[in-house]
Amino acid sequence: MSRTIAIVEDDPDQRENYADALLANGYQVTAYGNRPEALAGMRHSLPDLVILDIMLDDEMDGGFDLCRDLRAIAPKLPIIFLTARDSDIDRVSGLRLDAWDYLTKPVNLQFLSVRVSSLFRIVDTLHTQTTELEAVLRLGALQLDPNSMSVRWNGKEVNLTLTEFWLVESLARRPGHVKTYENLMQVTRQSYVERNTINGYVRRIRKKFREVDIDFAMIQTVFGVGYRWQPK
Amino acid sequence: MVIRPARGLSIRTKLLLVAVALLLIPWMGYQYVREMKSFLLQGQEKALSLTARAVSTVLHDRPEFFNPDTGASKLIGEPNDLFAYPLPNYVRLDGKLDDWGESLDQATLYDGSKGLLCGPDYEPDSLFFRQLIGYRGPYLYTVFEVTDDVLILRDPKIRRLDNSDHVRVVIQDPARPVKRYLMTARQPGRMSVYLMDSNWQEPLTGDPNYDIAAEFLPTKNGYVVEIRVPRYIVASQTRIGFMVADVDDDLTREVDVVLNASQNLNKEPLARLLIHSPEIAKILRGLNRPVARIWVLDNQQQVRAVVGRLSREPETNLTANSLRDQLRALYDRALHGIYNLILETPSGEIRDLSANVSHRNDEIFTKALSGSPQTARRPSLDQTTEILMAAHPVWFGDEVLGVVVVEQSSNEVLFPRRQVLENVISVTLLVLIIVTGALLVFASRITLRIRRLRNAAEQAIGIDGRVRTDRITAEAGSGDEIGDLSRSVSGMLGRLSQYTRYLEGLPDTLAHELNNPLNVVNSSLENLQEELPQTQQSKYMERAKNGIVRLRSILTSLTEAANLEEAMKTESPEEFDLVHLVSSYVEGYQLSYPDRAFKLDVRAAPLRISGTPDHIAQMLDKLADNAVDFGTTGTPILVRLDKQHGLARLSVINEGAVLPEDMGDRLFDPMVSIGKKNARRSRLGLGLYVVRLIAEFHRGKVEATNRTDIPGAMFTVSLPLTTST
Repeated sequence: MSRTIAIVEDDPDQRENYADALLANGYQVTAYGNRPEALAGMRHSLPDLVILDIMLDDEMDGGFDLCRDLRAIAPKLPIIFLTARDSDIDRVSGLRLDAWDYLTKPVNLQFLSVRVSSLFRIVDTLHTQTTELEAVLRLGALQLDPNSMSVRWNGKEVNLTLTEFWLVESLARRPGHVKTYENLMQVTRQSYVERNTINGYVRRIRKKFREVDIDFAMIQTVFGVGYRWQPK
Repeated sequence: MVIRPARGLSIRTKLLLVAVALLLIPWMGYQYVREMKSFLLQGQEKALSLTARAVSTVLHDRPEFFNPDTGASKLIGEPNDLFAYPLPNYVRLDGKLDDWGESLDQATLYDGSKGLLCGPDYEPDSLFFRQLIGYRGPYLYTVFEVTDDVLILRDPKIRRLDNSDHVRVVIQDPARPVKRYLMTARQPGRMSVYLMDSNWQEPLTGDPNYDIAAEFLPTKNGYVVEIRVPRYIVASQTRIGFMVADVDDDLTREVDVVLNASQNLNKEPLARLLIHSPEIAKILRGLNRPVARIWVLDNQQQVRAVVGRLSREPETNLTANSLRDQLRALYDRALHGIYNLILETPSGEIRDLSANVSHRNDEIFTKALSGSPQTARRPSLDQTTEILMAAHPVWFGDEVLGVVVVEQSSNEVLFPRRQVLENVISVTLLVLIIVTGALLVFASRITLRIRRLRNAAEQAIGIDGRVRTDRITAEAGSGDEIGDLSRSVSGMLGRLSQYTRYLEGLPDTLAHELNNPLNVVNSSLENLQEELPQTQQSKYMERAKNGIVRLRSILTSLTEAANLEEAMKTESPEEFDLVHLVSSYVEGYQLSYPDRAFKLDVRAAPLRISGTPDHIAQMLDKLADNAVDFGTTGTPILVRLDKQHGLARLSVINEGAVLPEDMGDRLFDPMVSIGKKNARRSRLGLGLYVVRLIAEFHRGKVEATNRTDIPGAMFTVSLPLTTST
């Protein structure tokens, strides 16, 4: 049974392109052009994953509103924001609404497919717990489960988005080894990433760890080059 | 935009200048009083001519006053003059007072307070007397009504004449020896009269004198003496004196007290006897005022009488008692110099014709003698003041007997005038000071309020032209025009900030709007690659993707600055070593730009600053990009770190093009870019703007200068060090 992905995007060209790409990857796609239609449609039949644009026609925050409504219907539904708005405020707002990831346009469609499949894998892990498991990475206080894409620090859950999880995983896999910006850009699986964007991701990751442990300082900045995970 | 400080006069100065207009008030008063001077002098002249008329009216039909032989002595005003009153009838020497008629009311009372010759035991009740002098026909009469507690009559057995109560008369003609007459009585009735020696003890001759007749009559309280003197004895220059001697002890018969019928205390008082027109003299004396001098001249222009003075006695200064008076005196004294500078000072003393002048022939006199009242002015002899004169003829029937001239110094007007002026000036000055003070306070307040409003308005819009606040609180609550201005500025700021928000949102909106079609192109290309695998190798596909990357980079930098500000607001600063950060980054740049040599010159280490390393790094990126772009290819880029005035200074120095002189700080404004355009690198002029934003967020500043040694540019960021270093 193929999975259903709902795309809410007011621009028909982009909508069609996403739909084509995802269809090509074997997903069923339902595309909506505006919020009321999308809400009505998804109420009728809930998809397995939703890709949301934020600005929908006249509604500046239509995607956020829709996300909120969907959360009311299905609290565990994986939602990805795919938007042209890349300000920190929007990013934070989106993640606060329990979006699983926040991607900015233009997006590489291949990466989008990878991301979607990763998310479905997480969903599967959460649901079944039976399929073969990748080894859980343990590094000091860090516990990193690639299957559920969940991270624990000192046993406490650190709520990371998909991109953030990938960055932490990339750093923690090889502690002490410097990950350059170029490496990290690859890891985010977005088509165009600036150094600032990486810096922003790392800032947010640090912040999330510090919410759990105020003294968290495992991610070190290597000025001008990149970041590394503190060895021991 | 540079706001020039106000060059013109401040509001305060202007208001003070306006306040100077108040000085017109004393000037106006001065003009007014000056105008008043002639008016006042006219009034004074009129008053003087009225006085002259009144005086001359008194003198009408009294020819005896102007008789040169018997007329009144010209100097009237000596205090001890004796007056002889015309009597209604001849007086019988009988010691009875009834034939003196009503003239007895004019009798003068003398007691110990006036004249006391000897006797320390005098008691005021024991001896006093009334005396009256009169004339009728060829005789002068005088009566003494003596009150005496013990009456001692003459004892004929004693040779000395001063052994009883008696009356003395002294007569002196000019250049003749003094004649002393003593009148004593053995019993009521005729008295014996002797010419006496200077001690009043022995008669000069044994014979009584019969020139003078005297009558003695005891009364209940004492006695009465009537004396008759022939007029020929008393010429016009004759001086005369009367005394009453009292003996109280019957045994010793020593003279206890001698009372003078005179005002003065001389042993033998001598006074002029004015036997003609004593009423006129008295009237004239009544006119004796310190403010005017009255001359009476006969028709020969001989001076008959002068009374009064031209100048006042200097006023005695009242001692200032209360504090208020003292303050007032102080204030007046302080202003005195000013008064003297701008006002005529009436001289206190006037030297003029003395009263001893016996003849005057001013034109006014001759004119007045021809029968018409006159007024005139003349300067005083010492030229210090003007003297007003008014003359009026004295008539006897149709004949002009003489002329009355009243003189008064114009100071009499000028003194009060000056006082008025002084008061006006004092009050005005006080008002001026108060008003000026009030205006000063008012102006200062207004200026202060306007300054506050200006500062608030200036601070409302930042140096970068951004609206920091869209409401001004300064003066917003005031109900007046400044409050209006404040509210209107607030309104303007509100509208401006709306517009600014729109402008600030514009890049974001634009980026969003462009991102979508860009995404269409991007995703279409990708789908195209899937659909037609042969396109994957196409160089056009490659270039199209390159174009997309470049477009994306433009859009990123468009939104970068706006996002940066929001990002920095949420950051919490940490302390770190700038040297460490910069050296790491410079190594990284060396890798990123292998064709350029990066040199690091650390002159002070460590440089601990407080901030977000990410943003400092971002700033360094922009500066490095800038140096790479503008430096001549192949030349080294120098990064220098040093410390100056408590600031960490980070300089990025390159060789190559110089900065235009006129750019100044505008280099760091958004959308400003200079130099050559690179077709493959888009430049929106936002890099240096980001540098400035980050520097300012770290409470630092950035400046761009040209190198002094070789052509090239130097960008320096100064950041405050943490206090721990």
